[in-house]
Amino acid sequence: IGCEDGSVKIFQVVPGGIQFERNLDRRKGRVLCLSWHPSDTHIVAGSIDFFRVIDVTSGQTVQRIMVNHHVEKAKHECVVWAIALLSRGTVVSADSFGRVQFWDWEQGTLAESHTVSTSAALSLAVSEKEDSIVVGTSTGATYQLQLLPVKLGGLEKRWVRTKPFQYHSHDVRAVAHSPTALISGGLDAQLVIRPLMEKIQKKGYDAALRKFTFPHRRLVSCARKAQLLLFQFSQHLELWRLGSTEETGKDGEVLPLCRMPEHLVQLKSKGPEHIYCSCVSPCGTWVGYSTASRFQLYRVHCDGDGVSLRKVPKTPKLLPPAYQLQFSADSSSLFVASARGSVHVLQLLEPGGCKHLHTLRPPSGCSEAVYLLAPSADGHWLAAVSGDWAIHIYNLKCFKHHCVVPTYDCAVSALAIHPSTNNLVIAYSDQQLFEFSIPEKQYTGWSRAVQSRGLHRAWLERDSPITHITFNPKNPAHILLHDTYLLCVLDKSLPLPDDSTLLMNQSTLKQLPETARKRQLHAFKICKKFQPLLFMDLLDENCLVVVERPIMDFKTQLPLPVQQKKFGT
Amino acid sequence: YLLCASGDFVKVYSVNTEETLRLMGGHADLVTGIQLNPHNHMQLYSSSLDGTIKLWDFMDGIPIKTFTVGSKLLALYTPAGAEDSVFVVIPKKGERDTFQLVSVKLTKGAGQDLEAKEVSVVLDGVGASMKHIAFGREGAYVASVKDVNLQVYFFKRKLLNRFSLSTVKTKGGDNNFSCVVCHPTEDCIATGHADGKIRLWRNFHHRKEYTYSTLHWHHDIVMDLAFSIEGTRLLSGGVESVLVQWHNESSCQKDFLPRLGSPIEYISMSSDGALCCTLHTDNRITIINSNLRFSRSIQGLIKSRDVKTGLVVDPRTKALVLNGEPGHLQFYSLQSDQQLFSLDIVQRQYIHQAGLKQSDLVKVAFSAQGTWLATVEESEEVTDPELQLKLWFYHEELQSFQLNTRINTPHDNHITDMCFRDMDELGDDSLILVTTGRDCVFKVWVMVEDNDPEAQQSVSWSCDFVGSYHNYQATNCCFSEDGSLLAVSFEETVTVWDSLTWDLKCTFCHPPGNIRNICFGRLTCSKYLIGATDYGFLCCWNLLTCALEWSAHLNVVVLQPDPLSEHIAAVSWLSKESSLFVFKPNEPRPIYIQRNLCKEKILLAAFVPRDEPEMISSEKYLWLRKSQLFFLTDTQELMTLSTKSLEERLTPSSKQLAVEESLPVTPFSLLLGKHRRQQAQEDIDLGKPVVHNKQEQASPAVKELLHTPAHVLPSASFLCTIFINSLLISTESKSAEEVADEVEMESEKAEDDSDEEDATEMEQEDTSHMELLGEMTCKLSKSQEKELRKIRKTDYSWISAF
Repeated sequence: IGCEDGSVKIFQVVPGGIQFERNLDRRKGRVLCLSWHPSDTHIVAGSIDFFRVIDVTSGQTVQRIMVNHHVEKAKHECVVWAIALLSRGTVVSADSFGRVQFWDWEQGTLAESHTVSTSAALSLAVSEKEDSIVVGTSTGATYQLQLLPVKLGGLEKRWVRTKPFQYHSHDVRAVAHSPTALISGGLDAQLVIRPLMEKIQKKGYDAALRKFTFPHRRLVSCARKAQLLLFQFSQHLELWRLGSTEETGKDGEVLPLCRMPEHLVQLKSKGPEHIYCSCVSPCGTWVGYSTASRFQLYRVHCDGDGVSLRKVPKTPKLLPPAYQLQFSADSSSLFVASARGSVHVLQLLEPGGCKHLHTLRPPSGCSEAVYLLAPSADGHWLAAVSGDWAIHIYNLKCFKHHCVVPTYDCAVSALAIHPSTNNLVIAYSDQQLFEFSIPEKQYTGWSRAVQSRGLHRAWLERDSPITHITFNPKNPAHILLHDTYLLCVLDKSLPLPDDSTLLMNQSTLKQLPETARKRQLHAFKICKKFQPLLFMDLLDENCLVVVERPIMDFKTQLPLPVQQKKFGT
Repeated sequence: YLLCASGDFVKVYSVNTEETLRLMGGHADLVTGIQLNPHNHMQLYSSSLDGTIKLWDFMDGIPIKTFTVGSKLLALYTPAGAEDSVFVVIPKKGERDTFQLVSVKLTKGAGQDLEAKEVSVVLDGVGASMKHIAFGREGAYVASVKDVNLQVYFFKRKLLNRFSLSTVKTKGGDNNFSCVVCHPTEDCIATGHADGKIRLWRNFHHRKEYTYSTLHWHHDIVMDLAFSIEGTRLLSGGVESVLVQWHNESSCQKDFLPRLGSPIEYISMSSDGALCCTLHTDNRITIINSNLRFSRSIQGLIKSRDVKTGLVVDPRTKALVLNGEPGHLQFYSLQSDQQLFSLDIVQRQYIHQAGLKQSDLVKVAFSAQGTWLATVEESEEVTDPELQLKLWFYHEELQSFQLNTRINTPHDNHITDMCFRDMDELGDDSLILVTTGRDCVFKVWVMVEDNDPEAQQSVSWSCDFVGSYHNYQATNCCFSEDGSLLAVSFEETVTVWDSLTWDLKCTFCHPPGNIRNICFGRLTCSKYLIGATDYGFLCCWNLLTCALEWSAHLNVVVLQPDPLSEHIAAVSWLSKESSLFVFKPNEPRPIYIQRNLCKEKILLAAFVPRDEPEMISSEKYLWLRKSQLFFLTDTQELMTLSTKSLEERLTPSSKQLAVEESLPVTPFSLLLGKHRRQQAQEDIDLGKPVVHNKQEQASPAVKELLHTPAHVLPSASFLCTIFINSLLISTESKSAEEVADEVEMESEKAEDDSDEEDATEMEQEDTSHMELLGEMTCKLSKSQEKELRKIRKTDYSWISAF
């Protein structure tokens, strides 16, 4: 860890935490970036106007190189924002002058200097083979530098700035270089994965440019009975009561509200930590959230118009705290997803207390934490997904492990248990859908049919994973799914579409006559009206709540981007 | 030296003095490529559309060898790696508009003319332009671009890699390739694109893991690229007329050399890297130092977008005056093939941008002494032109024209014609300028004394009289020689006005058809007024009787009176060829007819007075005694009629003499030279030109004899017959050349190399049949055989195209 005072501290990673080992040579000047040599013998630390190479074993600074010495009387200080130490003894530095420089640190000489941008170069990542570097700059552009042979068959190689990419509007604060893609994240709240086409053998999911604005997690929870929504922000929670209307109208109409939506309460988390997960109970009387270090549970008291939150005292000290919180359907218990595959069951007591009831653990043990939970509506079953993508199903009546869903080699993005049939519907991040019958401990016939038939190509090529699944209580054949860009009603009673038919056919269906419409119907009924879609849930039989978060809402909150002259303006 | 392919010739310029040192002719068609011999930097290869490759010694201007390939050669490359072969682009047999790059093995034969038939195809489907192919480091690979595809062929590994860019034009991007160059020492290819991007390709020996970086400054197509000798700098140029220098292939470090005048067409680096030169679309070469400073420029006749001003002769310098750079007037010296100076008329910054309306110069007129210059400029808008009439006074001390009066919106619509009253003897007071406009009036402008004491000049111009006729559009105006009468044409009618009282004297009309041109006769014929109409009639009216004297059916495009004689030249355009008729107004029979003058449409003509009247023996060319006639065609080639025979102009610089000059002076060569000169002289005296081809055939034997060292020569008895034979002139050639009249067209090169010129010999068919020109019967002498040869004019000498 590099510190503001110029020291570099070494910590030992021990099971359950980190342990301070020693201080390396301390010099003046804040340490802004660090990089280990691949063989762990040296550390290079970047500061303002210089960087230094520290021998880890002796703790001494073995080289100190001024990055700015050849610029005569530089008016501004040159901040080394990012640094990398390559195995062949080359130090790559990215500085605030927009330069990427290659140094031979043993000689202390500058090998190459590339001015990639007129604004600062902020981040740097090297590929594993050390033949490619990605640089992020404060204008939002990322650049790739490649180590290329000067002559065909010759041994001499040189770094060449090759491809520029402009996917961000603001500072690119972090970059990563995977074997097949450049990944960059910026101040504009976007994560961009740009595949390197020359490294990709076949066309597929990896070959497309991916942009992510929202985390693939549920950030909104809904109390169906109380018609409350809980929004999770990075440092606070907001509890809203939904408005309602008594009128009815046709498709596409906006109805007047008889009761406006009401912001009930805002709950700020203590300390600088970000909220990791949150949940409101279906009855709307309990709110729980967890940060990296603490788990908090609140009781919501409604006294007339006023709403107050009271912290539940003596919550059990769970370590580490929750990765996911989920209330049971009757709001009597809280499931807390925890490390090493365990799920804690807390019993909620009136008028504001809780008791640790049981800890569910997979029988074979698990090293990864549980990150998704799905309780059944009858309170009988609980499905838990851990980081190794195994789905364990527990019987809550006897707190026993029931079964494991056959492992599929992909991350689970959402799952839910059907209220009437107790079938577990699972959505994977590769867009596959499975239905698993819990009582029968096997995939259902429909699920097998889907697998043998295969899903529509357009469905499989979608960008964002399904983040929430819910069911229509009126029609058990309906499964409601949504991701960031679409809302889908999956009707199991209808035939599956094949690749030749249009997947998004709702608008064409509307124009067809009744008889022709019947023939064109297929299982996927997709609505793309709400974008970007954060949350969707059925409140009751004829009421659906949808949460949209317009991108412009937070774009306007971003700081001004770096001014750039555009040709022709 | 700077070598430049120019039409059928290769020009050698001195870099230090900008002078044309040598003009190497010998190709029968457009020279398409010139490359230095990589093994001998004193030699030059040139390729031409006539299917030959010539090897020259450009220091002496001698052709060393001629290799005949057979098909049209469109580009030539001589990479250093290839031992004895060169690469040319030829059209693919059997397919139109498909070209292939082939390597031609240059056989090592003894003679001068060799066949080079050993051809092997390297790449198929290449671009026809020489900018579309480049050879890489040491000739190891060749890169070719066409549309959105880049092909790289590695000679050693026999590997062909193809890379394609997307054809989709997004956000104004256009990925079409425009040019390609290769790095001289590294494996790097730079390509220019239609949207102004430059891509630097690397790692292109991998089919998949190739990579490129992009440099973008140009907003429009990158016309050409050039790497410096060591490869650290890359020069690029385009329509912005800015030369951009990129350092170390970095987009952040670049230098500019702006305001080069006109779009850059080619960029070339000198072999020592000290200089580079850019070739511009307006027929100009700019030489630039390595530190990107303008050094000097070589320019002839500037090619402007449109010659609207017409060909005007400056009475002071006898220079031809016409549109030059946008908004400029160029003064072009015919004698030295140089631009004397360029006068900025519009005085506005010219911005290259498609669709932007620019102001340009449309009309120019000089007063008789050349002391006053009137110019009209208008913006390109059709409906509401912004007109400005400017009057310039020649300042003796500054030796330049100074703006005297600027008149905004002199007419409400386009100005169609303008002339000064040409009166030499009356002095400045009588100077009158007449302008005719499409707003149905003509205006008379006179000089007035300026009363304002603060004004720096004593006189200024103002409008004196506005005349109109039945609200017709005024189209042409013309003063009679003595200045007493002004003829103004209004659509179908010609009106004659008294220039003192501005009374309408009489009108002439020859319906149907509007009047296209009018002019008064000169000297003895001053009582005649000549007019040409749209409907193809040439009319001559007698001003004394106010009656039509004669008329002829002729579609006259240009009507140009000779200011020094009574002759009037009319150029007609009929069925894709221009014909010249010269006549005197007093007789309806033309004194000279030249059919088939050239294939291009002649737009303008001008008589340029000779400094001293030329002695012309031939009866036919007496009308050219005092002035010379120049034509400008629609491809902006300047041509003239010459009275001299072909060989007369050839003798001073013929190839044989060039050979002799390069030899050490020996008694033998002196004798030989004397003999030949004598012979040539005889030929001319007899009026029987020597067949040029014959001499060319004979020359190798002589040359061989003179080149070979004495100690390796065969015995004299063996050589004797060959030698004697070479000097003999065969009898049948004489009989074949019973040519009495010889007219040569000399075409001034208006283009350096971009223009397509066909130098095909145009023989006119027998025009013995009677010519019917309207009412007038024109009797032409029988058995009139004319041989028309197109000859290029050099700066100081004349050279044959054959």
